Amino acid sequence: MKEVLAVMYREFLIRRTSPLWLFFDVAVPLLYLLMFGVAFDKALGLGLAIGGDSVSYNQFFLAGVLSMSCFGSAMNQSYGFFVDRDNGIFYEFLTYPMTRGQFLLGKILFQCLMSVVQCVLTLVAGVLMLEIGIQWEFLLLVFCVVIIGTAGWFFFLAIFAFLIRRNDTYNTAINVAYFLLMFLSSLFYPLENVPGWLKVLSYGNPLTWQTDALRFLTIGVGQIEFIVIESLCFGVFLLVSFWGAIRTLQRAI
Amino acid sequence: MIVSSFVGYRGVNIKRGGGKCKGGPGSNFPEMLVDCPSFSKPQRHMYDDTTAIDVVDLLKVFEKKNRAAVRAVDYISFRVRRGEIFGLLGPNGAGKSTTIKILTTLLPPTSGSASILGYDVVSHPLEVRKSICVVVQENAVELYLSVRNNLRTFGRFHGLTWSEIERRADGVSELFGLREHQHEKGVDLSGGLKRRVQVAKIFMIDTPIVFLDEATTGMDTFNKRATLQAIREESRKGRTIVLTTHMLDEAEELCDALAIVNHGRVIAAGSTDNVKSMGLRLLNVSLTFERLTNDILRFIHAYHPYKIETSDHSIEVKVREEEAALGILAGARQTGLLRHFEITNASLEDVFVELIDKKESVTS
Repeated sequence: MKEVLAVMYREFLIRRTSPLWLFFDVAVPLLYLLMFGVAFDKALGLGLAIGGDSVSYNQFFLAGVLSMSCFGSAMNQSYGFFVDRDNGIFYEFLTYPMTRGQFLLGKILFQCLMSVVQCVLTLVAGVLMLEIGIQWEFLLLVFCVVIIGTAGWFFFLAIFAFLIRRNDTYNTAINVAYFLLMFLSSLFYPLENVPGWLKVLSYGNPLTWQTDALRFLTIGVGQIEFIVIESLCFGVFLLVSFWGAIRTLQRAI
Repeated sequence: MIVSSFVGYRGVNIKRGGGKCKGGPGSNFPEMLVDCPSFSKPQRHMYDDTTAIDVVDLLKVFEKKNRAAVRAVDYISFRVRRGEIFGLLGPNGAGKSTTIKILTTLLPPTSGSASILGYDVVSHPLEVRKSICVVVQENAVELYLSVRNNLRTFGRFHGLTWSEIERRADGVSELFGLREHQHEKGVDLSGGLKRRVQVAKIFMIDTPIVFLDEATTGMDTFNKRATLQAIREESRKGRTIVLTTHMLDEAEELCDALAIVNHGRVIAAGSTDNVKSMGLRLLNVSLTFERLTNDILRFIHAYHPYKIETSDHSIEVKVREEEAALGILAGARQTGLLRHFEITNASLEDVFVELIDKKESVTS
């Protein structure tokens, strides 16, 4: 455990020195909710009809913002591998008395803490500023999904961070992936009325699984059986990504 | 008046190590132990025969797409004893850093075995990492952290308590002249200072084995001297030090034992004195005359020197036989123009160059 705490301590010290990074981690999804969400909410007027329920766009988009913040958080943390590799410190880390798993775990636990803080800020802003009704009884489960989501995306992205040696290549690949994953998911719009091909692609996207689970827990939209299946799929995605990240880290030199 | 000095000259009966080492797949180590007499360098300390590092038939092949595979390490074997300062020397691309990376669990070997304090680097990497600390070849400093926080995070990673971290950070800051840079961030440090921070970290902890991959690169003379002194102190305390360096004078000064590698193979290994006497029978004769004449040059050439260099009134001659060295000296005295002379053994650098050259010519 002290190895994991040492990694978290190091992440904390670094993050503390970079207010811009902290801003990106904490505030950007919040701004997304407040600007993008509000604009669409007004544009759509009567809101969205989902499975017989009618919800405002702000309510609908809240889970999307939470998912987006998990993905963004994980992306930032995975990008840190390039900074560490360029500094040379990455190689030194790998000679420290800890397992590769502890190294990754420390990094992701810190990032999960950041995601939870971000989640709290987003929920508070949603409730106080946009008057979104939240199912507070599921708050702990929301945190769990946020943590699992951040971890899943971090391990997934870490695989590519270890495989791709070039900073700029990774940057491009990740931005394209970010765009595709966001728009081929239930993050911005309900999937009920989209074309068949888009629906198939979107339901194969872990971002949809995570967003649907968060939407169910925050505003109660969705079918429990379907959410359970999606959550299990995300669990598998997390485990496979963790295994893949460890494997690629062992070959990252 | 002739001023004679015998710096490094060991008299007429110059002792030479007779060790010869055989290289090649699977054959280096046992023969070397037999053929290379154990070193007899003075002032060494805390030796026991316990093996700290054991490398047997280590092979590392890098497969490359659309290119021939590269054998970075080609069946290397050597052993390092506890408390020893061991140098791994060789030209660029010889396989030194790859060997260090395997020993520090950064890279898995293709075949062969390597163990640190009895722990295999492949099957027990965590135990190995608990026994070592490493100065990697890259400048490894946290760019966004202050010097002090660099030391703190390193201490935390190695399980030191907060109070111990502060105490030891003070100590190494003093030792490596980092006190006035405590609050500067890594990104603002010069290359030499970054290296000092990197090296200073290893003196904060007590792992029994230390790997230094080109540790003094980029340091100025004063800090290099402090670092070498600190390394010696650590060795006296019983820590085993493995270093790679291009600075052969540094290796000669520090190392109890060394291995010279080229093209991934060990071409010479043993105690520093023994390696120096391996394969090369060179004596360096330095003569300074009132003036250099053609007669002097003519009689020196008559001894068929291995190498001859002249500058102003001085001449440096490398000869293979003691008789030739003494003959040249006697001849020089007879000229009546000799001002100063010095006869020294070949330096490690001479040996290194000849061993590498010899190997290259055999290969070609």
